[in-house]
Amino acid sequence: MLPFTYAIRNLFRDPTRLAQTVGGSALVVILLIAAVALNQGMSSVLSASGSPQNVVILGKGSEESIERSEVHLEAEAIISTAIRGLDEQLGVAAVSGEIFYQAPLKSSSGVENQALLRGVFEKSLLVHTSVRLLVGHFPGPGEVMVGRLAHRKMGIDAASFAVGKNVYFGKSDLRIVGVFEAPGTVLESEVWFDRNDLASLTQRNTLSAVVLRLDRAEFDDVHAFTLQRNDLELAAIPEDKYYEKLSLFYQPIKVMTWVTAALVAAGSIFGGLNTLYAAFASRIREMATLQSIGYTRMALMVSLIQESLLATLTGTLLAFLAAYFLLDGQTIPFSVGTFILTLTPTVIITGLVSGLLLGTLGTLPPAIRCLSPSLPHALRSS
Amino acid sequence: MSLISIHSLTKSYTKGKSTITPLENLSLNVPRGEFLALMGPSGSGKTTLLNLIAGIDSPTMGELEVDGRDIARLSRSELTRWRASHVGYIFQLYHLVPILSAFENIELPLLLGKLTKAQRREKVYAALELVDLVDRAHHRPSELSGGQEQRVAIARAIVHDPSLLVADEPTGDLDRESADAILNLLQTLAREHDKTIVMVTHDPKAADAADRILHLEKGQLIEQGGLNPAAENTPSPAPDHRL
Repeated sequence: MLPFTYAIRNLFRDPTRLAQTVGGSALVVILLIAAVALNQGMSSVLSASGSPQNVVILGKGSEESIERSEVHLEAEAIISTAIRGLDEQLGVAAVSGEIFYQAPLKSSSGVENQALLRGVFEKSLLVHTSVRLLVGHFPGPGEVMVGRLAHRKMGIDAASFAVGKNVYFGKSDLRIVGVFEAPGTVLESEVWFDRNDLASLTQRNTLSAVVLRLDRAEFDDVHAFTLQRNDLELAAIPEDKYYEKLSLFYQPIKVMTWVTAALVAAGSIFGGLNTLYAAFASRIREMATLQSIGYTRMALMVSLIQESLLATLTGTLLAFLAAYFLLDGQTIPFSVGTFILTLTPTVIITGLVSGLLLGTLGTLPPAIRCLSPSLPHALRSS
Repeated sequence: MSLISIHSLTKSYTKGKSTITPLENLSLNVPRGEFLALMGPSGSGKTTLLNLIAGIDSPTMGELEVDGRDIARLSRSELTRWRASHVGYIFQLYHLVPILSAFENIELPLLLGKLTKAQRREKVYAALELVDLVDRAHHRPSELSGGQEQRVAIARAIVHDPSLLVADEPTGDLDRESADAILNLLQTLAREHDKTIVMVTHDPKAADAADRILHLEKGQLIEQGGLNPAAENTPSPAPDHRL
């Protein structure tokens, strides 16, 4: 075998080529890291938003869209009493009738943007158990509380969405009285109103949905209720299934992310291959000389792969550093919420495997081409 | 006793639709310790014969024994292993690895064996002493003159103590003074270290340094002269260092 130092020194034989290989592999790896982190972030926020213990009751025919759904106001009370075995706290059943609305909201800084609005009463905390107030209190009339990532969804700075500031909805201004968290869920991107306020502001006399939390009861009990009370025109869906279906809606976006990443990565890979072909082609005679000395093709192939791996893994390391400083922790808003890009073990392993594959599989075609000419022919090459 | 024994050797290959036969039905014996010069016009088959003797290429037909081993029957990987211990190849353009120092270039054949670092170092310095380049051990090829580069290449070819040295126009890229030094070194290796040397050259003066000169034309040995009288009186200035 050729000494490892041979591979290291070869790296610095052509600094331009080294920069191209390192830069190209860094670009490919960071694109893949970003694509995986985006898809994983979007999927995980949607899957974490739905609890298997919760059931969402929507208006029949509106199972695909909570915004279009209409549920009679009295359904909330009927559900509370008709379905046995719901979770409860201090005698209050975990049933929350809610209004869900997407509409422009104006911040105190003057920025107006589309926001996710939820009209609720305090007992909604019985079903949305991940919600924790970080500052302030639950909103009453004329007040709102905001999720800790709601400002990112709005595209404004956090200071504009702090407790004490006002927000403007239509001609009404409302005071922010609380900031809440609901880690890893879409709820964190929402602005929660007093339900009566939102009903009057949106001129609604129906709910969007009723969310309930099961204890001894099962989903089938809720489903049976919706069938028995077909006069209410309701449809039940487990909350986790609801978000799963929502996730399918975003599948084309995920595919687009992969296609875009793959196209840019392919361009970079072909550029890198071109660089390697040129670099190895200039060493055909040297490789032949080493073979004439007694080094096998396999030993030379290993050395060429070592050399490329050093470059691509350096690129991978740079990609990780860039991802750590530029991507990790970044919040990305999308239509139903906001998710955080995180360098999870899956993301890191994907990046590492890509770097390794680039250095090995990517090196094989130019290396084979470099080592394949017959020795007499290769020894005469310039 | 012959180190190289060739009988009815033919080499042909196809180029496009035509078949080219650079060597046809060639027979030759080279005794151990002989310094043989192969001469002939371009395309006469000199380098092809050299490559076959060195195990760089394989014949199409015929017998080719080197040091008692029929190398015509060896596979590509067997030939590679055989070359590692039996042949040293000296090229016209030296073919040194540019990123390695003279010491590291010479050490390359030894890395294929099982020597310790200290043993390798000892052998490399012995080779460097033989070619009188100890003071250039840590210079890279780009920091050496052409003559010095060729001497490093010779040291690389002999460091693992092969019985056979093949040289393809070893003085073809050197000035007269450097060429003479290289030829003297090759003579020393043949006479004092019992190396069998086969050298391809266009230069009659270089060929004069050999013990015997053979002429090739159109793949045939057209003249197999006796011992070269000019070589008898050529001085050998290189020091006598055993490897």
